[in-house]
Amino acid sequence: MNRILLIEDDAETAEAIVAELADRGFEVQWAADGVDGLDRARASNPDAMIVDRMLPGMDGLTVIEALRNDQVSTPVLVLSALGAVDDRVRGLRIGGDDYLTKPFALVELVARIEALLRRPVDSCETILHVGPLEIDLIERTARRGERELDLLPREFRLLEYMMRRNDQLLTRAMLLEEVWNYKFVPATTNLIDVHMGRLRHKVDGSGETQLIRNVRGSGFVLRSRQ
Amino acid sequence: MHRAQLIRSGTFLWALAVAAAFALFVVALFAFIYWKLDDYLVARSDRMITTQIHFIADLSPARRISAIADHLDQDSRGVQYAGLFDAAGTRLAGNIDHLPRAFGLDGAVQGVRLDLFDKPAAHVPVVRAVGRRLDGGDVLVMGRNVDETREISSVVGQALALGLLPAFSLCLLAGVWLSARAQRRVEEVNQRVQRIVAGELRERLPEGKTDDSFARLAKIVNGMLDEMETMIGALAGVGNDIAHDLRTPLTRVRLALERGRTHAATLEELQEIADKAIAGIDQSLAIVTALLRLTEIENNRRMSGFGDVALDEILREVCDVYEPIAEDKRIALGVVSDRNVQVWGDRDLLFEAVANLVDNAVKFTPPGGRVELALEAEDDTALVRVRDTGPGISEQEREAVLRRFYRSDKMRHTPGVGLGLSLVAAIVKLHGFRLIVGPAPGGRIEILAWTGRAGMPITRRNRTLLHADACQMG
Repeated sequence: MNRILLIEDDAETAEAIVAELADRGFEVQWAADGVDGLDRARASNPDAMIVDRMLPGMDGLTVIEALRNDQVSTPVLVLSALGAVDDRVRGLRIGGDDYLTKPFALVELVARIEALLRRPVDSCETILHVGPLEIDLIERTARRGERELDLLPREFRLLEYMMRRNDQLLTRAMLLEEVWNYKFVPATTNLIDVHMGRLRHKVDGSGETQLIRNVRGSGFVLRSRQ
Repeated sequence: MHRAQLIRSGTFLWALAVAAAFALFVVALFAFIYWKLDDYLVARSDRMITTQIHFIADLSPARRISAIADHLDQDSRGVQYAGLFDAAGTRLAGNIDHLPRAFGLDGAVQGVRLDLFDKPAAHVPVVRAVGRRLDGGDVLVMGRNVDETREISSVVGQALALGLLPAFSLCLLAGVWLSARAQRRVEEVNQRVQRIVAGELRERLPEGKTDDSFARLAKIVNGMLDEMETMIGALAGVGNDIAHDLRTPLTRVRLALERGRTHAATLEELQEIADKAIAGIDQSLAIVTALLRLTEIENNRRMSGFGDVALDEILREVCDVYEPIAEDKRIALGVVSDRNVQVWGDRDLLFEAVANLVDNAVKFTPPGGRVELALEAEDDTALVRVRDTGPGISEQEREAVLRRFYRSDKMRHTPGVGLGLSLVAAIVKLHGFRLIVGPAPGGRIEILAWTGRAGMPITRRNRTLLHADACQMG
């Protein structure tokens, strides 16, 4: 069971996060201020941390900085009401691993925590396998079983990203940030859906089991098990 | 406190200085007149006594004594001096008591102290006198008291007192009055300004009826206040727009929740209501996010994210992102770019700008239409053009589309936040580029970029354009 430390001063927000994470099978510890949070982080050595930026006593970035100075590399998700690109960059530079702007959807938070806990290790493998899918990163070819997949470069990039994170919920925001390198929210809201539709059409042929699943209202999952 | 301020005030000090200079000048003038007059009187009496001494010396010795007596008798004011002495210095005639020592007898006029024979005075006046040795060895002395000049000096002094003192006082009074007046106006302006600071934006400075510098200054400041009132009004309008745009989705959320609370009978129905509510709130949040992003770009004056950006790459990437969406709408999306073009800018922001333009073009072009992205380079400028076969932007709407939240009435029901073009305009402005909105029909928006580094436009044409741009975009 993964243990999460949440450092968040707003009790109501914290309560909702704790409840949601508990439902998903995480063990959550809650600290209401930076000093307490830092103590708990040092004492209990959690698997991942969620840190609010603005905290009474000691602000979130200082907590992360202190931990990084102690050579603690626990993945940290920074929560902040500051959404500007500059704030985000500062949050990540100081040692945060991901940055989520308030207000956020709980599904988004959980997806990002799961992504942090299962961060893919950069392997030297040049061929990735997920279920019947196989892609060759050097040849830039993809196949499902015996069937060759004719992918456009952008579709290949998307599939590669999904295969490195199989069986994880990937939200639209995560895909926009990671695959398309978007620093802003596009006006057209179904941008990702259209691209995913194309990829899905090629990956999941008629009569085949659906590997790419649309999780309603939250994002997409690439299933490895049939 | 007021008196001290009055004395320290510039107007008063100036008046004081002018009064002092005036007084100095008048005193110098009077001194000059006095000096000239004195000179003239002395010269005149010198001439007179010289004439007299010649006249008497030319008489026969017997007649000299009676002539001297006559001469003295005729002098009612007692300013004339005359004396006839023998060779030993004994007085023979006249009113001079004795010959002064070291008195030159060569006929030259000199200033000397002479005692009167009949009334020796405590005060021995200095007299202009001339002496001459006669044929018989006698000595003849003629003189004239020039103490009259002292009278003149007293007259001059009186004139000074009568003329200068009132003039000086008048100067001071004028200074006090002017400075008090200036201070009163400053005080009035201060009170009005305090009211403006307190939020009374319609207040203006008093311009007065005269056309002095104060009134002109007030007019200038009032002009500035007019501008600012208009701007603040426009900002308030933006506030209203935001409130309105936020209110629409929030109203939907509220209604949905309210109805759901009383009417939902099953869990599914309640979930449907909740989904609707979440969607409405997400739309409100999207507006807030877009607005914050706009403010972020507008306030961003730093060039930290700047570097060399390949425009052709950006165009291709944007096209790559929007191709499937255009295809779904049966819109042909293409890029025309002949060569690599680099500009100095923030890559992410330029991507955002181009993406926004293409997003709009795809959104507003009816199915079956075309959207074309073109990049043209010429000398030291690059032109990014997004053209579509949609309705375009009419003449009247051209200015308005760049305003926050503007959405053409026809587009009221097209989803979107209405901040897209404002964002593009802000990004273009940050780069010092220029945004050109082409005429309808058909959408055409261009970004004119400089391929030289920002801050050092290469040609004069650039500079003119930049300037025009600054004026246009305010």
